[in-house]
Amino acid sequence: MTTTPLTPSAVAEALPAVKIPPHRRERLTPRRFTTNTIFYALLILLAAIYIFPFLIDIATSFKTEADAAADPLSLIPQTFTTAAYQKLFLNSDFPLWAKNSFLVTASVTIGRVFFDSIAGYALARLHFRGRNVMYAGLIAVMAVPGVVLLIPKFLVINQLGIFDSYAGMIIPLLTDAAGIFIMKNFFESIPVSVEEQARIDGAGTFRVFWSVVLPMARPAVVTIIILSFQGSWNELSHFVVSTQSPALTTLTKGVASLAAGQLGQATQYPLKLAAAAVMTIPVAIVFFIFQRRILNASDGSVKE
Amino acid sequence: MQRRNHWLAAGALAIAGALALSACGSGFSSTTGSGSKGLTSSKKALTVLIGSSGDAETAAVKSAVADWSSSSGTKATVLPATNLTQQLSQGFASGKPADVFYLSTDALAGYASNGSLLAYGDQLPNKSDFYPSLVKSFTYNNKFYCAPKDFSTLQLEINTDKWKAAGLTDADIPTTWDQLDAVSKKLTTGKTTGLVMSGQYARVGAFMTQAGGNLMNADSTKATADSAANVTALTFVQKMLKEGDLKFAKDVGAGWGGEALGKGLAAMTIEGNWITGGMTADYPKIKYTVNPLPAGPVGKGTLQFTNCWGIAADSPNQAAALKLVEKLTSASDQLAFSKAFGPMPSIQSAASAWKSANPALVPFLDAAAYAQGVPTAKGAADVVADFDSKIETLKTADPKAILQATQTNLQALIK
Amino acid sequence: MTTTVRQSPRLRMRRGTGIRKGEAASGWLFTTPMLVLLGLFLVIPVLMALWVSFSDWSGRGSPFSSGVSFTGLKNYSSVLTGGGLAEQNFGVALKNNAWYVVLVVPLQTALSLFLAVLVNRQILRGRGFFRTAFYFPSVTSSVAITVLWLFLFSSTGAVNKLISFVGVTGPNWFNEPAGIFHFGITNGPGFLVNNSTLGVAWWDWVGGPSFAMFALILLAVFTTSGTFMLLFLAALQNISGEVQEAAMVDGANGWQRFWRITLPQLRPTLFTVLTLGLIGCWQVFDQIYTGTQGGPAKTTLTPAYLSYQTSFQDQQWGQGAAIAFILFAIIVFFTLVQRWVLADRKVSKRRLRAYRIPGSKR
Repeated sequence: MTTTPLTPSAVAEALPAVKIPPHRRERLTPRRFTTNTIFYALLILLAAIYIFPFLIDIATSFKTEADAAADPLSLIPQTFTTAAYQKLFLNSDFPLWAKNSFLVTASVTIGRVFFDSIAGYALARLHFRGRNVMYAGLIAVMAVPGVVLLIPKFLVINQLGIFDSYAGMIIPLLTDAAGIFIMKNFFESIPVSVEEQARIDGAGTFRVFWSVVLPMARPAVVTIIILSFQGSWNELSHFVVSTQSPALTTLTKGVASLAAGQLGQATQYPLKLAAAAVMTIPVAIVFFIFQRRILNASDGSVKE
Repeated sequence: MQRRNHWLAAGALAIAGALALSACGSGFSSTTGSGSKGLTSSKKALTVLIGSSGDAETAAVKSAVADWSSSSGTKATVLPATNLTQQLSQGFASGKPADVFYLSTDALAGYASNGSLLAYGDQLPNKSDFYPSLVKSFTYNNKFYCAPKDFSTLQLEINTDKWKAAGLTDADIPTTWDQLDAVSKKLTTGKTTGLVMSGQYARVGAFMTQAGGNLMNADSTKATADSAANVTALTFVQKMLKEGDLKFAKDVGAGWGGEALGKGLAAMTIEGNWITGGMTADYPKIKYTVNPLPAGPVGKGTLQFTNCWGIAADSPNQAAALKLVEKLTSASDQLAFSKAFGPMPSIQSAASAWKSANPALVPFLDAAAYAQGVPTAKGAADVVADFDSKIETLKTADPKAILQATQTNLQALIK
Repeated sequence: MTTTVRQSPRLRMRRGTGIRKGEAASGWLFTTPMLVLLGLFLVIPVLMALWVSFSDWSGRGSPFSSGVSFTGLKNYSSVLTGGGLAEQNFGVALKNNAWYVVLVVPLQTALSLFLAVLVNRQILRGRGFFRTAFYFPSVTSSVAITVLWLFLFSSTGAVNKLISFVGVTGPNWFNEPAGIFHFGITNGPGFLVNNSTLGVAWWDWVGGPSFAMFALILLAVFTTSGTFMLLFLAALQNISGEVQEAAMVDGANGWQRFWRITLPQLRPTLFTVLTLGLIGCWQVFDQIYTGTQGGPAKTTLTPAYLSYQTSFQDQQWGQGAAIAFILFAIIVFFTLVQRWVLADRKVSKRRLRAYRIPGSKR
């Protein structure tokens, strides 16, 4: 048994396991029919509650300010306007924020896939002194809540001289304990025999890892990609403490400052909601790709 | 046993790492004492960090700084901050702060006491031209730290159409609290509340000064929160709140008084001269007038707000920074700023030019004679924030208890 | 399952001169990036903050410079027993967050389990759609959701509009500091008003979260239930159908089957969810930073946000760090309590075996 992880890794582990069991047709008795109807009605109601806020978000972003305040529930704008989007893209720093977010997210995702997987592989398969201590340390580190690190992280970044730079934004996020944990667990599920064959053929450790083991770990790598993308795209507090210049503002930080508003700014809900909607799109795309990946992975050859 | 050794080794490694880091950190010099007269000077470019109210302000400051750059030959860049206080803190902690920056009165004491600021006030050639009350706001431990950038005072803004619709004329403009209460009642109809203002010390405090009180004395060396005058003021505000002819902006769904006025949720509001910019940008169709706040039992009174141009003690080019500040506080620059985004010049010699350029806004500047500053003692901002949180519940709370708690908190600061 | 591998490395290393040559070196090489990054940005920061929390660092230059001195427990005592504003603020933050935890954790756990059971129904069509709908809020950024929430719960927002359909005037959510359990009563009984803990009157402690905080509580439930639903879903699908069928033969109805068989088997997952929930809930920061900045009337101030505010805005770096460590201690405490409870409960799993069919996999 693996220990219960105290981080989102638990979530990630669970994801590939979500499989759709085969449908089992049951006889439709009248009673069953009514229960089913109630059951579906309940589900649809719940789903509506979960989806509706997002529909309101999109609808309101195309409304005028007055319309947004007058009829906050309607999904059809009284006067359809793209003013919010025009202001966002042509008349604000939003494109710059988006660029920064993309840059950081891409770097962090690539970095995490690489560093998490090599560390996970070493912890799972390579035999060396100190490995157990390292593993214990990793578990301990996962228990440290991120928010406690807010101040000290700023202090270290500052002392290292990478405050207010892309380096300061990216490097501290390049690896995460939870990701290493996921990779380690996955590598342990791959049969050792595969590697041994490659080793007998004379391949070095890195080569074995890179061209034999890593390709087999695709589901885990996909999980890391998703988690890293989502994590760094949605990250706020790290960027709050690691940067100050407007040129390095990310979407989260920028939109948060929009939301906080300043004196002299009106509520501007259409603008804020447009920003919120646009910043959700990339994660949504990754999420929907991910959805299909889960299905693919469960059909795939790699089984635990 | 073996295992324990590993842990020890790991611990030692981490501590060694921390020490190595601290060694890196020793590169920051702490030589520039705030008392030294000599200014640092170098060829380095200047960074100017501003807490901008919007595009107009950013553009105006940028163009003024660019003018100075081209005439002086020293490069300078303007950075609009997303969160000024936080960015200043980070700058000072990192040892490479912005050279010149906006500094609020409540942040002065904290940064001055830890030596982050250069006290350059006495080196300004036009030192005596600044309004004395503003100079006082930026004096800490008897040292005049930084040049007031501009200032504003609170006055009463009235929606002209709603005023007329209620059958009121110029003669009805309130000059006493009772009159304010009376017209506010007349103006309260339907969705419109007579008077709407933000529920915080920075508005309610004006009533305290009209009653002859304030949270602290003028030098911020003595806590005066629990004075009878303040109780009178809060009791009056509470009475209006209970009667419903005064509401706090948040309670009518507005972010601030200007928004309430602009959206027609308020017939009157109490704001400073920044309201002009906000109204022009967001609600250009709303007509309103600026009138002096009514006098209280003791007389006229209002609060004034100001920022200064701080210069960092760690700036490698303080001489150039001082030159830049001299230029930015000159009459011509301040009048240009005023035109662009509405603040009032901090020097007396620009007053008449400003008044003739802004006849409708004269009450704001006239108040310079009697306006009072906000507390500047170290930690006062936190106490004021706490006071604000209690003001939000003023309608149902006990004014005396609120003031008593604030008095205790303020006294703790000056011990 | 890893224990066998763990015990044998030395043996293998001695033997494995052939194909396992150079493994130790690669092992260290592979883990070096991890060690450096986690060490630099996790271990050392914690040590540094620990020092700051015991020092009088004023926020200028390095905390290790000569001017900074050790002040013992001063920062901790001013937060915990100082009697001043610092203690009051911490007390308020603790009260706010405690209510947040007390409401969010059970709500999100119950809702996510409920959703998982619904989605797990075998006859369900469109399962993918429902799973997506419930999970989607979890992937979106907390900043975006908070912005949306500010709109939905504004005084003229969608929620109040909905409430108005049943003839009730909704509160001005994010500007309403009144506690929801005060039910509009403004003056409590004397003994509650006059006694206080951590500078906060008992009357305020029992008042529950403010309407503003309650809106944030709903936000948390909305965004986390999807994630936890997936955890429960995975666990549900691992439960062997045979046990269920055996119970069905015994004549147990759906409700009984759920309480007697399904739920006990979900215990490990249930505790994981509770722990993750507890830890996450004590760390609320993004929503406060984006949405309310602690207002109205400090009713959404949380220890995490207070720590940030005390350090970055008020220049009390030592105090800010001290708050962070007290928060850390709170989180560790709850984690340990959970571990202890979990360890205790494992025994009862044996009882479950009674239901198991000999020869089944688990």
